[in-house]
Amino acid sequence: MTPMRAMVIDDSRAMRMILKRIVTKLNFEAVEAGDGKEALDLVTAMTEVPELALIDWNMPNMNGLEFVTHVRADPRLREMTLVMVTTESEQSQIVRALAAGAHEYVIKPFTEGAMIEKLALLGLVPTGANS
Amino acid sequence: MSVEVEVNENDLTEMVDQVWESYLDPEGLNPLMQTYDENQPSDVHSSVSITGSWTGHIVYASSTLAARRAAAAFLAVEPDEVSEEDLSDVLGELANIVGGNVKAMLPPGAFLSLPQVVLAPEATARYPNAQRISGVYGIWDGEPVSISMWHSSTADNNSTKEGAE
Repeated sequence: MTPMRAMVIDDSRAMRMILKRIVTKLNFEAVEAGDGKEALDLVTAMTEVPELALIDWNMPNMNGLEFVTHVRADPRLREMTLVMVTTESEQSQIVRALAAGAHEYVIKPFTEGAMIEKLALLGLVPTGANS
Repeated sequence: MSVEVEVNENDLTEMVDQVWESYLDPEGLNPLMQTYDENQPSDVHSSVSITGSWTGHIVYASSTLAARRAAAAFLAVEPDEVSEEDLSDVLGELANIVGGNVKAMLPPGAFLSLPQVVLAPEATARYPNAQRISGVYGIWDGEPVSISMWHSSTADNNSTKEGAE
């Protein structure tokens, strides 16, 4: 069975490592990008689109919200599940991200368990994967 | 002109506890023990600036060893495997996380900068017209760590001071 793929997009290498550890534990293959532009370049060059993207908001070159907007404008990428993972925790920002096409929103700091629960809610991992 | 806000030590402590629980001490074995000493030393620091409805800075400062241990915890490596780049990256992310959560408590219309990291003591920092208004100061595994909040005032230059202290 082909493993699902997750794109981890954050300008912090340490945060990418944390997210990568979590998705790898859930049997995803992880692909990293340091900003929205790099992620968009990578994903448009891929023959198979990743099932999941975990996206920081505040990044240089192209921020997470711009990345979400670009992905949602591309029919080829419409199956990607987009999860914002960010310190931007105001209600208005959450609404903006969801309106732009993000499926879920995880606020930093997050525990591994909280992230897995979110992914389970999205149907990307079995319920109870956290236990 | 920015508005008055109420983000106090308890709010900052709660944010810091969440960071420790999530990344630095997930098993709850090694929490940050508060010393309430705002003059404790540091070797390195990072900051994010907030502009808009409120103007100021959130500063994370620690000893080099505490920063190295924090980076090791984030990266799941041994402290002696941490590079200077890793150390800067994690310091920046720590300021970003606390700063983002502070911003959420401010009136709408606040904006968060990307983090700045300086591998030098917090005492070398200069925040024009800024005053420290809140902070959490503690010892983590025997090493000093602090998170402080600075309010910049451009409306009343005579009553504010320039510099860290």
